Amino acid sequence: MTVEPTGLQSKLADFLRWEKQKRWQESLLLAAGIALAAALLLSPLHGLLPWIVLRWLVPVILMLGLAPGFLYYRRWCAADATRALVEIDRKLNLDERAVTAWELAGRGDRSAAAQLVFHQSEAHLRGLEPRRLFPRQWGWPAYSAAPLLLFWCAFLWFDFDKSLSQQRPPAQSLAQQLREFARDFQEKAKTEGLRQSMQVGQELEKLAQKNLAAKASDEQLKTDLAGVKQKLDAAGQSAPQNQSMAGAESEQSLKDLKAELEAARDMLNLPDGAKSPSAQQWLERLAALPQLRKQLDREPQSGQGMGQQELQSLLDRLDQQVSGALDRRALIDAQQFLEQMMKQGQGKEDKDAAQIAGRGEQDEPGDGMREKNHSNLPGKEPGTSDSSRSLPQFRAETRTQVKGQLGEGESSSLVFKGKPAPGKSELAPQGVVANYRRQAEQELNSEKVPAALKETVRKYFLSLEESKK
Amino acid sequence: MESLADIEQRIDSARRTYAEVKSEIARVIVGHEELIEQVFVALVCGGHCLLEGVPGLGKTLMVRSLGEILSLSFSRIQFTPDLMPADITGTNMLTDDPSGRKLIEFQRGPVFAHVVLADEINRATPKTQSALLEAMQEQGVTVGGKLHRLENPFMVLATQNPIEMEGTYPLPEAQVDRFFFKLILQYPSHAELTRIADLTTAAPPAPLREILDADGILQLRQWVREVPIADVVKDYAVRLILSSHARPEQNGGESLAQRYVMYGSSPRGLQSVILAAKARALFAGRPNVSFDDIRVMLLPSLRHRLILNLEADADGVSTDKILNDLITRVAEVA
Repeated sequence: MTVEPTGLQSKLADFLRWEKQKRWQESLLLAAGIALAAALLLSPLHGLLPWIVLRWLVPVILMLGLAPGFLYYRRWCAADATRALVEIDRKLNLDERAVTAWELAGRGDRSAAAQLVFHQSEAHLRGLEPRRLFPRQWGWPAYSAAPLLLFWCAFLWFDFDKSLSQQRPPAQSLAQQLREFARDFQEKAKTEGLRQSMQVGQELEKLAQKNLAAKASDEQLKTDLAGVKQKLDAAGQSAPQNQSMAGAESEQSLKDLKAELEAARDMLNLPDGAKSPSAQQWLERLAALPQLRKQLDREPQSGQGMGQQELQSLLDRLDQQVSGALDRRALIDAQQFLEQMMKQGQGKEDKDAAQIAGRGEQDEPGDGMREKNHSNLPGKEPGTSDSSRSLPQFRAETRTQVKGQLGEGESSSLVFKGKPAPGKSELAPQGVVANYRRQAEQELNSEKVPAALKETVRKYFLSLEESKK
Repeated sequence: MESLADIEQRIDSARRTYAEVKSEIARVIVGHEELIEQVFVALVCGGHCLLEGVPGLGKTLMVRSLGEILSLSFSRIQFTPDLMPADITGTNMLTDDPSGRKLIEFQRGPVFAHVVLADEINRATPKTQSALLEAMQEQGVTVGGKLHRLENPFMVLATQNPIEMEGTYPLPEAQVDRFFFKLILQYPSHAELTRIADLTTAAPPAPLREILDADGILQLRQWVREVPIADVVKDYAVRLILSSHARPEQNGGESLAQRYVMYGSSPRGLQSVILAAKARALFAGRPNVSFDDIRVMLLPSLRHRLILNLEADADGVSTDKILNDLITRVAEVA
């Protein structure tokens, strides 16, 4: 009598289904673990996402991409079934009865020997409970997925990814710093027409380039810099000292004076056909240029009797003196920068100092350092302290000379450097204007703003109000 | 068609027969349990054995005892350099019939027995050796153009002495391959020697009991071939045989086989392993072959089928060592 091994087959099929399910779960867990790990590694790129909320979905998207691949490559096959059945035999000491029975049943072998194999296997497997005999075993994918998930949630919740994406670039080498400084320095010299500074800037850039190309050490660069510094010292000692433009003048005053000299020259060089102003009229107009007026007052021969030619030569002389003074100051800045480089190496402070020296604005924080003053930030009241709010990072850009239209009263110019950090503004323009206006009024009440320019500033803010309306 | 009870009874009968043979031989042979099992396995598989061991270890006694227990005819041929093929197979002789007429009659040689002990087979010339080996393979001898069938069952147990190699003719590889098993007789232990002394210096033991006859052996042969084997177990045996061929792509890392084997096992080796594993399963009362059966039968089946290189000789590496290395390397399931 032939007995069909249906009971045995269904028992073994149940077991194989359980093993298949375990494999499937393991594959998904593995995909989840890898997706979470990949999401963590990719977190610095969250800034590229169109919507910030999408960062929460990154692991899900990665898992949806990985899971089909894992399920395919770890798919269940005939060899896995055999392996699982051999494992049953080993665990129950069946001497390969289960795997033989499974194969014989699959082959349709119903011989007496096969029947005995079925019989003996069934007797051993009758009480088999796959879930108890072969419980789910959590491997490293399972143990790593849960902590990774928690870590991921904490990572996003505390916005570590944002801080990662805003990390500063790695520290530059001394040669790179020097090259950056030299380029800024040349830019400045070119803008302000400083010939000697231009030459020094070019020399420094060449030196930096040479060191970068040769991949020389910082120590080698320092040795080279010592030679350049000696040259600068020698040039500083031999440069003619102009008494009238002595150190008492601030750099901003000198720049204002230079701008005023340019404006005065424009007034003198009227186009052909235009009626040239009389000396009296010209002097009246000069009253609107405070720095120039101050200089003219010091000149003994300046006065009512000066002709246009004399005025022209006076302006040229003053221009030369201002350029020389600015040149000297720029060279001192360069010297200081080189000294700091040689002393401190490539620390962060060094870099910051180099940037300050490169801008040449460290001497008069009240005049030229508006971007470094917390009270100048939109939405920040002067005098209040808020250390938690960080300043926007300005990158060195080409200098821009902003000129105002000369009208009544004295005029001045401010040098703005850098561009705003990218991103949307969080403040309404009305609020910004009101804040700046308040700050301006406070500044106007102080002695920092020349009296002749106070009215100009007021008019400027009034014009902003009108245009807003 | 047999019922389940019949097949269970058959397996039980085979297991009991084997147990009885073992216990009966143990009355005269001390130790060598594994060897006795392997000889019996070779007999029920229809194979021949090459026994290797120093003189005095009981080779002849074992073969003679086996013949007695199995109620089979037994003959012994002492191989010497001057032994001729006809001395083994027999020859045509001119004789007188009862009426006085002359006639040519075939006189059977000692090979016409169920169990033949070819003692020190490597002492005879290759010509004589090949006469016996041809008889082993063909189960018959041809003399004067006439085929004479040998007994069934027919089994040759050839012995060779591993220490006296001078003046011997080592068996050619092709002829060694015809032996089902090569069995190594180990020197007895202290306890076994004591028991041998007791047995052989006291009164002779009672004659051995006949347990199995030729028909019983032929029945067992048929049962052995009916033992089912799973494909995965068969595949394991095949991979073991292939891995003895020193193919780099077959093994992970350098195995001893890759280093020392010049020629691996022939397909006869695979037949031998699987058939012997089936017999072992049957004598163990199991209806199927296990991985363990394959592993146990691998050494006697393959140890004479691997041809090692000179490096193995120089390093003193034996085939048993190489085969044990293969067993540790080849996974049960691919």
